[in-house]
Amino acid sequence: MNIFVNEQALEVAPDCNIEELLEVLDKPLQGTAVAVNQNILSRSLWGDYFLQEGDQISLFQAIAGG
Amino acid sequence: MLTESEMLRYSRHLLLEDVGELGQKDLKNGKVLIIGMGGLGSPAAMYLAGAGVGSLVLCDFDCLEVSNLQRQIGYQTGDIGGDKVELMKHRLEMINPEIRVRSINQEMAEDQLLMELMMVNLVLDCTDNMASRQMINAACVKAKVPLIVGAAIRLEGQLMFFDHRQADSACYHCLFPNSDEQALNCSNSGVLGPVVGTIGTMQALEAIKHLVGLPSGVKNKLKLFDGKTLDWQTFAVKKDSECSVCGKNR
Repeated sequence: MNIFVNEQALEVAPDCNIEELLEVLDKPLQGTAVAVNQNILSRSLWGDYFLQEGDQISLFQAIAGG
Repeated sequence: MLTESEMLRYSRHLLLEDVGELGQKDLKNGKVLIIGMGGLGSPAAMYLAGAGVGSLVLCDFDCLEVSNLQRQIGYQTGDIGGDKVELMKHRLEMINPEIRVRSINQEMAEDQLLMELMMVNLVLDCTDNMASRQMINAACVKAKVPLIVGAAIRLEGQLMFFDHRQADSACYHCLFPNSDEQALNCSNSGVLGPVVGTIGTMQALEAIKHLVGLPSGVKNKLKLFDGKTLDWQTFAVKKDSECSVCGKNR
């Protein structure tokens, strides 16, 4: 199944949820925000959302500077 | 009623259909707490002072350092070593003697912050660390005070607006729970002045729009600014019903 992560194409296994995606990508779970098709997905839903073909996933870090 | 000198000073607002004399009176009645007087707080405070926001409360506890001057445009080399809030208060009074500016030259604990929130209609989070951001968010949720959050590092900026008067508003913690450890800041990552200045300027713009009653483009949204391409990305932020700050489990 093909998805996009920060605009880069990526092939993932079917039935992959967001938590598993972050593990595959070796991203930290803490301090990371995830959006699916421009909607932020709450941390509490990462295990429940299963990636769909063509999903646009955006991953970014909280920044604190100012 | 606006005075004659105010009519003259704000004549470019009075020409705007979206502001006009009524909007200018709303600005005059506005009470805004700006926390953090660095690269975000500098332009935010100066624009709100110039715009005639009647009461500004500035909070910071830092002294000005030479490394601040690359981006914190409210200050000058001769100011090094001075307290930022006192320097900025003076600067704002020079920009606009028609407004009231109060300074809080210390790090506020939550109970003091909650007291201050009773006296304002809006908060700008212009701080530089995650612990303050989470604390300010939690206090604004509790006090039901709207919060405009800006952040920047490197060539990236983040902007969001949570109107905590609305029960269904998302909050900063819905977006970034447990983010204390990973947060990047200007001292460990570096930042370009105009990037942080852009975000601080957007906070001022959203603040003015909020005070005059114009709809916001960023409520319950996160805007990401890319200083390399000048692109903005927009993400919808929904209230997390499981959020420990604003959700049902609080």
